[in-house]
Formats: sequence, C-alpha cells, structure tokens
Amino acid sequence: MPKDHGIGAAQKRREDVRFLTGAGKYTDDINVYGQTYCHFLRSDVAHGKITSIDTSAAEAMPGVVRIFTGKDFEGIGGLPCGWQVTDKNGDPMKEPPHPVLAQGKVRHVGDPICAVIAETLDQARDAAEAIELEIEELPAVVDMRAALESGSALVHDELTDNLCYDWQFGSDQAAVDKAFADAAHVTTLELVNNRLVANPMEPRVAVAEYARANDESTLYTTSQNPHVIRLLMGAFVLGIPEHKLRVVAPDVGGGFGTKIFHYAEEAFVTFAARQINRPVKWTSTRSEAFMSDAHGRDHVTKIELALDAENNFIGLRTDTLANMGAYLSTFSSSVPTWLHGTLMAGNYKTPAIQVNVKAVFTNTVPVDAYRGAGRPEATFQLERLVDKAARELGVDPIKLRRQNFIESFPYATPVAVEYDTGDYVATMDKLEEMIDVPGFAARRAESEAKGKLRGLGVNCYIEACGIAPSNLVGQLGARAGLYDAATVRVNATGSISVMVGAHSHGQGHETAFPQVVADMLGIDESMIDIVHGDTSKIPFGMGTYGSRSLAVCGSAMVRATEKIINKAKKIAAHLMEASEGDIELKDGMFTVAGTDKSVAWGDVTLAAYVPHNYPLTEIEPGLEETAFYDPANFTYPAGAYACEVEVDPDTGKVTIERFAAADDFGNVVNPMIVEGQVHGGIAQGIGQALLESCIYDADGQLLSASYMDYAMPRAGDVPFYMVDHSCATPCTHNPLGVKGCGEAGAIGSPPAVVNAVLDALNHAGHDVAHIDMPVSPHRVWKAMQG
Amino acid sequence: MTKVTMTVNGKAVSKEVRGNMLMTEFLRDELHLTGTHVGCDTSQCGACNIHVNGETVKGCTIFAAECDGAEVGTIEGQANADGSLNVIQQAFQDHHGLQCGFCTPGMVMSAATLLKENPKPTEAEIRHYLEGNICRCTGYHNIVKAIMAASGQDVSTIAAE
Amino acid sequence: MQMSDTRVIKAPREVVWAAILNPEVLKACVPGCTELTGTPEKGFEATVVQKVGPVKATFKGTVSLSNMTEPEAVTLSGEGKGGAAGFAKGGADVRFAEVEGGTELTYEVDAKVGGKLAQLGSRIIDGFAKKMADQFFTNLQDAVEGPSEADEAPVAEGDAGEEGKKKGWFKRMVSG
Repeated sequence: MPKDHGIGAAQKRREDVRFLTGAGKYTDDINVYGQTYCHFLRSDVAHGKITSIDTSAAEAMPGVVRIFTGKDFEGIGGLPCGWQVTDKNGDPMKEPPHPVLAQGKVRHVGDPICAVIAETLDQARDAAEAIELEIEELPAVVDMRAALESGSALVHDELTDNLCYDWQFGSDQAAVDKAFADAAHVTTLELVNNRLVANPMEPRVAVAEYARANDESTLYTTSQNPHVIRLLMGAFVLGIPEHKLRVVAPDVGGGFGTKIFHYAEEAFVTFAARQINRPVKWTSTRSEAFMSDAHGRDHVTKIELALDAENNFIGLRTDTLANMGAYLSTFSSSVPTWLHGTLMAGNYKTPAIQVNVKAVFTNTVPVDAYRGAGRPEATFQLERLVDKAARELGVDPIKLRRQNFIESFPYATPVAVEYDTGDYVATMDKLEEMIDVPGFAARRAESEAKGKLRGLGVNCYIEACGIAPSNLVGQLGARAGLYDAATVRVNATGSISVMVGAHSHGQGHETAFPQVVADMLGIDESMIDIVHGDTSKIPFGMGTYGSRSLAVCGSAMVRATEKIINKAKKIAAHLMEASEGDIELKDGMFTVAGTDKSVAWGDVTLAAYVPHNYPLTEIEPGLEETAFYDPANFTYPAGAYACEVEVDPDTGKVTIERFAAADDFGNVVNPMIVEGQVHGGIAQGIGQALLESCIYDADGQLLSASYMDYAMPRAGDVPFYMVDHSCATPCTHNPLGVKGCGEAGAIGSPPAVVNAVLDALNHAGHDVAHIDMPVSPHRVWKAMQG
Repeated sequence: MTKVTMTVNGKAVSKEVRGNMLMTEFLRDELHLTGTHVGCDTSQCGACNIHVNGETVKGCTIFAAECDGAEVGTIEGQANADGSLNVIQQAFQDHHGLQCGFCTPGMVMSAATLLKENPKPTEAEIRHYLEGNICRCTGYHNIVKAIMAASGQDVSTIAAE
Repeated sequence: MQMSDTRVIKAPREVVWAAILNPEVLKACVPGCTELTGTPEKGFEATVVQKVGPVKATFKGTVSLSNMTEPEAVTLSGEGKGGAAGFAKGGADVRFAEVEGGTELTYEVDAKVGGKLAQLGSRIIDGFAKKMADQFFTNLQDAVEGPSEADEAPVAEGDAGEEGKKKGWFKRMVSG
C-alpha cells in the first residue's frame, strides 16, 4: 500500500485549491492605495552612446508624476554580481558596473534608460513616447568569436577587451596531454548550446511602498529568494539596512532560475517610492520580459574524448565560449565555471579532464542560470560526444557508457567534486526496461512501414545540487553563504507554523515540507503550515534554486524540528516525572519507555505556553526553534534518459514518440510532486532540443521576442513521459537522504532527443555527425541533403 | 467612457469603461477578479482565457465594451455552489495538473469548453485543443491526464512502461 | 535584409534624376509618407505612417541624399523613429543608365528594423522591405511616365494622402 501521510506519501497539494479557484495572490494582484505606475523607456539599439535626453515635454504630459534618468542614479551602486571567478592567471574576473538606469551608454536592446512614473500606466507609456532621446549608435558586439578578436568594438569602454575571464580547471596539463598522446581513438565535437529564455508564465512584477514615518520600504517582487534580494538591493544598491527593508515574494508564477537574480526594475521602484513618497508598481509585459529577464545557456564548445584500444575513456578536454551578455547578472559568472566544469566527469571514470571557459561580454541581454545552469551544458556536450564516439567506433552507445561507469562510491572526480552515492548501472538497467530496448527494432519497422525514420537516443546525466558548503564555495568565489534556515514555531495548542527560507513557486513546498515535520512528530499534516516568501516573517534564507530546497532548507527544518523534539521531551519528562532519556515520541504521544505513562503532543505544547507546571529554572517557556543548515557537500542526483523519435524524411520534422527517465533522487518525500518536476524539466529539455532559440541579428536586434517567434513547447509537441525514481541511493550527508529533483529533467533530456534524431538519420544511411539545437525541421532536412 | 452591463459569474455588473479597456483589465482592475492572468501580449499563452456566452475567449483579445450584455465566466466562478472544486478542478488537483498555478485558470477554462464540446476527448484531441494554452511547469503530462480523468476515462495506465 | 532590382522608366535620364531630387516626388513615392520638407542638399524631414505585421506606427525621421553623381548615381537613405514601435532605416543605392526608350534604374536596397519592430516583425520584414522598395520605384515610375498599363500597382497602406494625384504628373509638370 502506498503511504497516505508523512514522508513518501503522494499527497495532493494543498496550494492547488487557491490556484484552481483564482484565489492565488501573485505580485500583479497586489495593488497599494495611492500607487503610481512605472514604465521604462528601453534602448531599441544594441549599443550606443546617449548624447541627449530631454524629458521636459514628457514631464508636462497629463498624469506624469516624475521621470527618472541615469542622472538620478549617479553615485548609487549598480547591480552586484554574486560570484567572483578567478582567471587562470590568478586575476579576478572583469566586473564592469551594471547601472540601474543607463549611464551614458546603452549596451543591449532593452537596457533601461528612463523610467516614467504616472498616475496610470497609459499615461506613463504616452509620456515615455514624448521623451526626446538621442542615441549615437555604435557597432554592436554580438558574435562571441568576433567579440574576442582584437579591434572588436568594446561593450565596456573601460575594459581593454570583451573577455570577462579565461578560466581553466581540472587535471594537470601533462596528464591530459598524455591521455591524448596515448589515445587509440579521439572523438571531437563542436557544438552550440542554444540561447534560451526561461519564460515562467508570470512575467516579472515589482511593487514598492515607502512609509516615511518609520523610514521603511516594502518591496513585493516576483522572486525565488526574497532574502537575497533584500541583501543585494539593501546593502549594495540602495544602502537601505535590512531592518528598514521588507521584501515579499508572494505566489510566484514559475521561476526556472530567471527569478533568482536581482534586477534593475525592483531596485528602481524601491528607490522611486522613497523619492516620490508614493507606492510604485511595475508590471513587465511579455515583450519586455524577453529583453530584460536574464537569458540562459548560450555556449559554443569544442570537446574531445580520448579512448584507449579497449574503448575506455582516458582523457577529456573541453573549450567553451560562454556568453555573459552586456552585464554580469547576479550569478552569471558561476554558471559556466563551477556549475559546469565540475560536472564534466559525468557518470564516467575518465581519469584526466581539463576544462577551459572564456566568458565573453556581448551587446545582448545578460545570461545567467536557467533550469540546470551549467549542468545541462556539461551533460549535453559530454553525452553527445560519447554517442559520437560510439558511432565512430561502431559500438553500442549503451555498452560504451556502461563500460565506463563509475561503480564505487564515494568517487572523487578529476574536476574537484566527490560523488557520495549513486548507482548508474541500476538506473541504466531500469531505463532499458522502461523504454523496452528489445522492442525497438519492431517499433522502427512499424515507423518505416509508414515512411518515417525512427531513432532511439540514450544518455546519462549527473548533476550537483544543493550547492555547498559555504566555506568551500567562499573559496571558489561565492560572495554569499549557501546554507538555509527554518524556524519551527509550535503554538500553544500544538499547531505549527514553519518559516522556511526556501521559496515555493510551483514546487509544492506547502504540501511536501509539512509531510517531513508531521512524520518526525507523528502528528497530522493539517496541523502544520509553511510560511515562506516574506523577509519580515522568516529568520533568513537563501531561497530556491539549484534543486536545493528540500536538501538544504528541508535539512534546516529537520534540525529545527529535532530541537523542538528535544525540548518537548524535557517538558514531557517533567510532566510525567520521568527521566528525559526515557522519553519516546511516537504518533504524537510522549511515553516513558517501559511504562504506560504518556502525555499527548498538545499537552506538552500547552505546558510550554502555560507553564504552571514547568521546569522554569531549567528551560525557557515557549516552543520555537530555529536552525541554519550548511551542507557538507553537494548532492548528486543522476540517472539515464531515453527518447524515441520519428523523423519525417520529406520535411525533417521530428516527433517525440516515447520518452523515459530513470532518476536517482535519493529518498523522496512526495513522489507525485517529484514526478511533476521531472515532467516539466523534460518538456523544457525537449523545448531546447527541438523548438526554442533566442535569436539576435548581426546588429544585436532581438528577433525572437514574442510567443509568435520564440517556440515554447505546447501540449501537442510532447508525449506522455515514463518516469521512475525507484533506483534510489540516499544522499549520505543530509538528514533526509534527499538529492533534489527540480532540474534533472531539463539536464537529462536534450542529449537523448538529439541522439535519437541522429540515430534515426544514420540508420537511414545519412552520415550526419551532429545537428545543433534546436533540431528544427529545416536543420534536419538540410542535414539529410548532405 | 462607455457604460457596459454584463453578467460575470452569475452576478450582474455595470461599469463605466474606457473604450479601449480589455476584458483582462476590466476583470482584474475594475472587478478585482485577479484569477484571470496575463502571461503575454500577443494573444498566445491563454492564461487569460475566460468564457463569454459559453465560448472560451482570450480576455486580452476582447474589449470590455464588446462584452456588453454577455454572460461572462471566470475561474472565480468555476467551483461548485458549496465552494468545493468542480470535476475539472478536482481532477487537476488529483492528478497534479498544475505547479505554479499561473496558467491554471486558463487551462481550466479551456478544459471546460473542450469537455462541453467533446465529452470524451482522446489524448490527441486534448493536446490539439490546448494549442492556445502555454504551461511552462508541468510538461502538459498531468494536464492532459487530468482532463482525461475529468471526462471519466481511466488514466491509471498512462505512460506505464 | 538586402535586395536589388532594375527597372526601365520611359523618360530621359535628366527627368528621372530631377524627379528623385524633388521633395514633392519623394513625398509621393515614399509609401505612407504624409509629410516631407527640406532640400536635397540639406536633407528632408519626413513623417511616414506604416504597418509592419502587428505594429502600426508613425515614423518621424530623415531622408537624405548622398553620393550624388549627377545624373548617374545617388544614395537615398532614410531613418525613422516610431517611438515604442522601434525604428526602421533603409537605404538604396540607385544608378541611372541611359537605355533605349528611357532610363534604366538599378537599385540595391538595404533595410533594417530595431526595437519592437524587430522583436515582433522580423519574420515578415524581408517581405515588407521588398514591398516598400517596389512601391517606391513603382510610384516613381508612375509619377514620371504616367500610366502605361491597365493593371495598377498595389496601393500601399498609408498612401491615402496621394489619391488625387494623377500618374505622370511630374513629367507633365517638368515638360510644362
């Protein structure tokens, strides 16, 4: 029987009731009395010098409250970058300023120049049209290779070139060189990891109000991590101390990484509300989102694999150009380095690995973490490369992978990380069973009978989640700690509020987190509520990204609950006149071991708040505990994915016929939610593989800035997915044994899709080594023509 | 300004509106029915789907003035009279057909008209019908499953290996 | 986007040359032009109303003539700002050659859009630019030589201001 409560139960989500009835409270649903509306005038050229701004006519327009320009931000901090990467020469990365409103120059289409505040949004928009703005257009830097050539235009005039850093990492040069010198076979692949736009369905919104009487600012914003925004905006941009700044992220309509970062617009409305002493609201349109939300991926890579005569992987080296866009977004610098290079071992025991990454400034929207963040880029190049090697060597791609699997744990890779647990053989066994490898030949024959080509693509993946520990990431350049916090507040009658630093924007924390606490205390989940997303209610928190919520914040919650149990046992011991060491807690009852004495959970909690009969000299009244949890290591979810496609040889159109995912997430708290996370990740991976691409023209104009041009996966583009997470090897270092499941689908699926397309084409006699994503009908058709 | 009168979720409303006011603005700003969401500005995403005289309409693509005299339904009016979730809403919860909840109102509104037109749609028919509803969270798996379940179909063997 | 084309106008080269330098003619020929003032030497200020895909906007900008080699070649450049709609700019290198029966115009057109026009309309911009260029030279041809055939060129949107003008009006004007 499946469990119906506690850890492991597929409980229905409690948050669904409000979302299904229109009662969710998203940031745009918040309106503050007396609010004004903000509209940003943004650059429509990619690169230019602002020669004049005349706002006088616009200021005279009806309803205009005030117009702000870059001048208003002179001397005010720019948006900070949260991770300092060190160049291979030991120099810090180049970190040009990222102003809230453009200072003298615009550096990408969408760069905000002026902000108009008016009584209505229409008035603000109309007034923006009346601003007289002169921009002297400069040559745009768009292509990364061209950006690095000497003589290229400079995105930042104060720098000598467009290189942010040149980062090198991994094994000794000599070891890597030797592996390639000794190789019986070397497989080389050059590829592009296409630029994507995260596109959570809720565009970003920021509403700020200011209480002059006590000098307090409140910002409602669409964020995955309100405390991080409070810290970055308060300390680095606006100079508002934390106790005067409240950041609230209410219901947030999806994030996928793009709502981690601190954005100019939220800093602006907070600043402006103080200046005009009135609330200010900004709601992004979707068009604006395309040119102001941080983009994802955008790597150009050359990767090489050295194999010995027995097809063992003996060396790997990879060179990547990573697009930073025009400015360093909050965590942009860490994505192609520590979140990418450290995963290059994949699931394989390759002994010598070298990673080189050059990060490049261009006149495009900043690029930062998007679901997977560096790990999809690592997985895609590695798993495409292994497939290519198998084809070149004429060996079965699954067999080649199995032969090189890491099989004993813990395993220290040549790229700095130590995998604590895993069972790659088990997930591959499971995957082969799910996708029914023996039945593929018959399915291919069926497709061929219809005139279609059929291919099967397989890949493995590993990711590092719950990025940690703080002392290590600090050495690597992180300017933040990566712990999390939770407060368990037990009320007098035994009900509980758990204040958590993780933010839920689709992940179902409000349902899954109480399952953990309920399990530990043996009480019903309905007695427990989760509070998140408000810096005034929660002690602290680093938020939700990198599949960290349960592994890091959930662990903090476990630690706080353990403290609660310890204190409650003391109280129970006093109530039952027993020794604390003899007290047991089971099913919400405290008992004295070996006796029939017991007190209920509610009796103990009531005693804590009505301490008439209470050990006041030994412990404080009340029952509330906070814990901060800093993990000892990353967690390492891993798995194997398979995809079967049909290709229409006349049009090149690819359809996904079957998809299977065998994941190892360690222990699972709510399998229904976990499976939903995998489904969504897979769809985004299929989107990257077949449909999505963010396109700039040579002048830096953004050409794919609406759902007419940016192909989001729709219901008809994807199949039902077969997912399994039964091959679990629990994480060894967190109290729940959980690993994280939010990004796996997006990491594991793109290579499976592309490998499947190439299998279909090559089986049909087309000698095609690689097709870049998105594998569009046009690209497939062209590849088939030779 | 134009005076419009319509029935929204069974209640008569009458308001003075600008001629260019969209139904999304009318519902969200004038009636404070914020369950209808705005996810794009090119009539592509379907987060703003509402019912106008029994048909699914994108609220961002119709003026309030055009709805003068109409019967309008929004997500806020979909639950049963006692406040419990209706069959479609319940199926979405039972089958985890939503995550962040932002596209969900539009999905539920589309599903309602689909099942009215086609009480037992196939998987392919559902996927085709949802062409105008974008979801970024669920990968559509559980949305399609929920709609099949709401139509009384057995979904226990979906994507079984 | 870049494109090139040629066409023969049944008029002497000097007449065609004079036409293209004439603000009245330019105003009549630039599709959607509602206002045009200035001189060939100092350039023209122009207002153009155009619709590109889903974006309709009034563009205020300049038209300038450069690389003038009378009566053989000229470069026409235009740049317009459409406020929230973004901007459009384009140019045409035009060469005039004397051929039997008139003047052969060879033109190479380059067009660019930016901002919202690029974001929402890039799919259709090539077709749009080609239509604009064809329209311009057809209008020029009509203005200079008068209607020669029954099938009239399609009228571009925004052309409404020019109804009333008869084809061949410029030729009649200069030939007195």
